[in-house]
Amino acid sequence: MSDMSIAAMGAALRAGSVTSVALTRDALNRIHAKDPSLHAFVLLTEDRALADAARADTEMKSGVDRGPFHGIPHALKDIYDTAGIRTTCHSKLRLDNVPAANSVVAERFEAGGAVLLGKLATHEFALGGPSFDLPFPPARNPWNPDHVTGGSSSGSATAIASGMVRMAMGSDTGGSIRGPAAWCGLVGIKPTYGRVSRRGVFPLAWSLDHCGPLSRSVEDSALTLQLLAGHDPLDAASVDVPVPDYSADLNKGAKGLKIGVPRNFFMSAAALTHDVLAGLERTVVQLRDAGAIVEDMALPDYALFGAAGRVIMMAEAYAIHEENMKTRLLDYGEITANRFVLGATVTAADYLAALRVRREVTDAVNDALRRYDALLCLSALSTAPRFDAPVDALSSGAPMQTIPFNVTGHPAISVPVGLGSDGLPTGVQIVGRAFDETTLFRVGRAVEVLSGWEGVKLP
Amino acid sequence: MPPSPEALARAFDQFMTSAGLTLPPARRATVLASYADFKAQIALLHGRHEHTDEPAHVFAQTAETAR
Repeated sequence: MSDMSIAAMGAALRAGSVTSVALTRDALNRIHAKDPSLHAFVLLTEDRALADAARADTEMKSGVDRGPFHGIPHALKDIYDTAGIRTTCHSKLRLDNVPAANSVVAERFEAGGAVLLGKLATHEFALGGPSFDLPFPPARNPWNPDHVTGGSSSGSATAIASGMVRMAMGSDTGGSIRGPAAWCGLVGIKPTYGRVSRRGVFPLAWSLDHCGPLSRSVEDSALTLQLLAGHDPLDAASVDVPVPDYSADLNKGAKGLKIGVPRNFFMSAAALTHDVLAGLERTVVQLRDAGAIVEDMALPDYALFGAAGRVIMMAEAYAIHEENMKTRLLDYGEITANRFVLGATVTAADYLAALRVRREVTDAVNDALRRYDALLCLSALSTAPRFDAPVDALSSGAPMQTIPFNVTGHPAISVPVGLGSDGLPTGVQIVGRAFDETTLFRVGRAVEVLSGWEGVKLP
Repeated sequence: MPPSPEALARAFDQFMTSAGLTLPPARRATVLASYADFKAQIALLHGRHEHTDEPAHVFAQTAETAR
């Protein structure tokens, strides 16, 4: 059952050929078999999951249909508030935190009849990791447990790539959905800023935070966004725009699309590897062969996006953690604290310079997307590094290329395109116009089909 | 010209003092290296705009907020 898509599970549930309890037990069995060595989950809500699954089965038998997620197992990164269920941010500072109310995302899954399997490992406060000095061990990459998953939605990526669950929620402030997706062979979408409510999700940096799913396929991601998208008047960033049918164009292919490749982003990056570049070049050829117009173009220097993103992130994160940093610094993991303290060095002039650059580069990406239906670039410059060869995901030399679209707010999706010579996944990043996730899913699905990734067996 | 390592270290220590933060001495070298990288990034952001270039998120009244 681990290979069944969300749509296939839904069809089987409605046909009566499988029950939600059976799907849930199957997922739990895989978790019990694999998680002791992979550490995806920080909390398993087994009893509740089986009760919710039984309720879903009863409802469906009696004709109540809550939609595509009714009876479908899923899991949440442990920064999403869940009523009555501990939500720790993978941190000693919040080990006893049991929220009274659900995050909006958790509420939407619950209202849709989905089955919550548990809470997933994250880098501490969605920033600091992978770390061995936290209350829970870091999640490991199922493709090779000696390698990291990327972060911060580490447990989400591990749970899906190991077949424990088909879809899990992550969050993305600088690439925390798309990075782990790229390094674990998954699809990860950061929707447009304001598309999915962040209410009830512990913030890392308010103006960069996005909620979104990691999943096995583009179709899974489109179905999940359909459940989650919509205006929340109590989220200051939420935008009241209509929610389209995200699956409408899924199988329209690439023919006729115009796609720009901002090569200046990555061609001179020191961390760029041959395997990752080869994956992108294959994708360019495949899209052209499928009838898309794919041409090189330029965006402002990547370094400018990266600098603006890091300053904004560090300043906002420090504002959130200031009191605890002063009084409980040693209760944070070392990596987390070492990163957060930099926020204390950002001046008002630095922050405003970053916001002026933010306007400048956002205008540039909007201009580019008036000429192109989508942009094609890289999620990561390398495959996943080993635990014993750590890299600072925020440094100027980091092997990620995701933060530009947190700065600009454009939707971006990471789609796997193959395996590198080290046997680890490589991916590409596709960027779309604001609130045009439908086209993003169309391009992503085309890449998924053309790359042949669907035929690759997960570890 | 980028600041000397000594000047960077002094500036970093001043920020830590004024923020009321106390880093364990064993971590100082690691954080100082990150700070140097961060300062080099910050330098990219300055000196590129005219006085009329406004930042993102400039406050805007709307009919809704005016009610």
